Amino acid sequence: MMKRCVWVVLAAILLATPAWARTLVVAQDATWPPMEFMNEQKEIIGFDTDYVRAVAKEAGFDVVFKNVAWDGIFAGLDAGQYDAVCSSVTITDERKKAMDFGIPYFKVRQALVVSKDSTVKTLEELKGKTVGGQIGTTGYFAIKKTEGITAKSYDEIGLAMEDLFSGRIDGVVCDDPTAAQYALQKADYAARLKIAAVLDTGDEYYGIAVKKGNKEVLDLINKGIEAVQAKGIDKELRAKWIGQ
Amino acid sequence: MEKKTIDVSDGAAIPRKKDAGLFSAWRISFAGALIILLCLVVFEPDPYLKILKFLPDGILITFEVTIFAIIFAVLLGLLTGLGRISKNPFINAVASTYVEVVRGIPLLVQLFYIYYALGRFVRLPDMVAAIIAMSLCYGAYMGEVFRAGIESIDKGQMEAARSLGFNRTQTMFYVILPQAWRTILPPVGNEFIALLKDTSLVSILAVADMLRRGREFASETFTYFETYTVIALVYLLITLLLSKMVSILEEKLNYYDQS
Repeated sequence: MMKRCVWVVLAAILLATPAWARTLVVAQDATWPPMEFMNEQKEIIGFDTDYVRAVAKEAGFDVVFKNVAWDGIFAGLDAGQYDAVCSSVTITDERKKAMDFGIPYFKVRQALVVSKDSTVKTLEELKGKTVGGQIGTTGYFAIKKTEGITAKSYDEIGLAMEDLFSGRIDGVVCDDPTAAQYALQKADYAARLKIAAVLDTGDEYYGIAVKKGNKEVLDLINKGIEAVQAKGIDKELRAKWIGQ
Repeated sequence: MEKKTIDVSDGAAIPRKKDAGLFSAWRISFAGALIILLCLVVFEPDPYLKILKFLPDGILITFEVTIFAIIFAVLLGLLTGLGRISKNPFINAVASTYVEVVRGIPLLVQLFYIYYALGRFVRLPDMVAAIIAMSLCYGAYMGEVFRAGIESIDKGQMEAARSLGFNRTQTMFYVILPQAWRTILPPVGNEFIALLKDTSLVSILAVADMLRRGREFASETFTYFETYTVIALVYLLITLLLSKMVSILEEKLNYYDQS
């Protein structure tokens, strides 16, 4: 009897999903609030997560999210472990050599977070000090490029913020939405941290990355992004996750 | 007296006299690793030479953590080993509890705990936290080795020394330990090697050791295969050299056992 019930349920699920819908596996490093992070129910949520869902709906594919550590996220893409990475990936020239990007979907800048009692206004003023960032991010590259600063790379931006919070390092550089999340939104961090400056490294654009040459998936994603932008869904999501 | 020991460890195989032939496992691994690394660097300097040039400060940090942790772990291990065989119930309980607690918690968790969890109360610099965590962990492992080594010395030695007028401390340091050292060295040597390999875990504290340097390089250039190949080969070479050193030391100490 029990077995029969299971079969009926399984059949119902199978029939409910249109047979032609393609399922794409999308990797995210869920440690980057508010773009992608884990809620208490252990689900990945955030702007990027909602954005991919909207894109999927418009382009007519199903999506499964996979939580992958940032450190190896592009290696996994290259190895074909998932179809795309949508995890606050800034489009850079180096990355463009290694993978293909969809239409840019989000603009960010690099922000410097420091302790509230610090008077620092630029990254250059932190000469001789230690500044942290997440390994392999444009924020970390910006620190490394600034002469005289000891760059410290963390596995997750949260660990860098924790070290800044406890006073072991003098600053953290990351994308401005994430910097705002820590320095303004999270009560205990916000009491001790502030955004000192937006770096003059220029605007950066997030893109959804696919394996180099995977035109089929790229076209599907771009089709969805165009529809999402035309309908203004991205503005709704921005209001929901970022505010202003 | 024929002494039977079980030579299995998670450290590395310490080369014995009998595997000194031309095709010993040690020689094959060492020469192989060295030749592969050299070939890669010479024939494909981009990216292999770049990777190798990126690593030296990381290798230095790896050595630094290893050496300090070995020193403190040996001292702590000796104290713990003596504490474990102590007749004083308080000292014994402290030493035994320390061993039980530390051996029951993974090193990775200990590292996180000392650096991030306790970081809210004591602000230890990353290197200090790394060395403390490694020493605490390996001190407990070595404590057990020391205890076993000391207990392996015949009771008659203690009795003889005591009847000659030595007190317990003198007996321990002049009679028991010099003999026990020979039994202790092989497993302690293994612990050294295991410790060196486990220092790769400190990279999670954002300590810029060899592994973290490699990860930084790979995450910027996307040369995952190339970078981790070099990292693995360099670790292998260092570990093999250390195991050779331990085996030379062991042979020196075993001088009197050869008949």
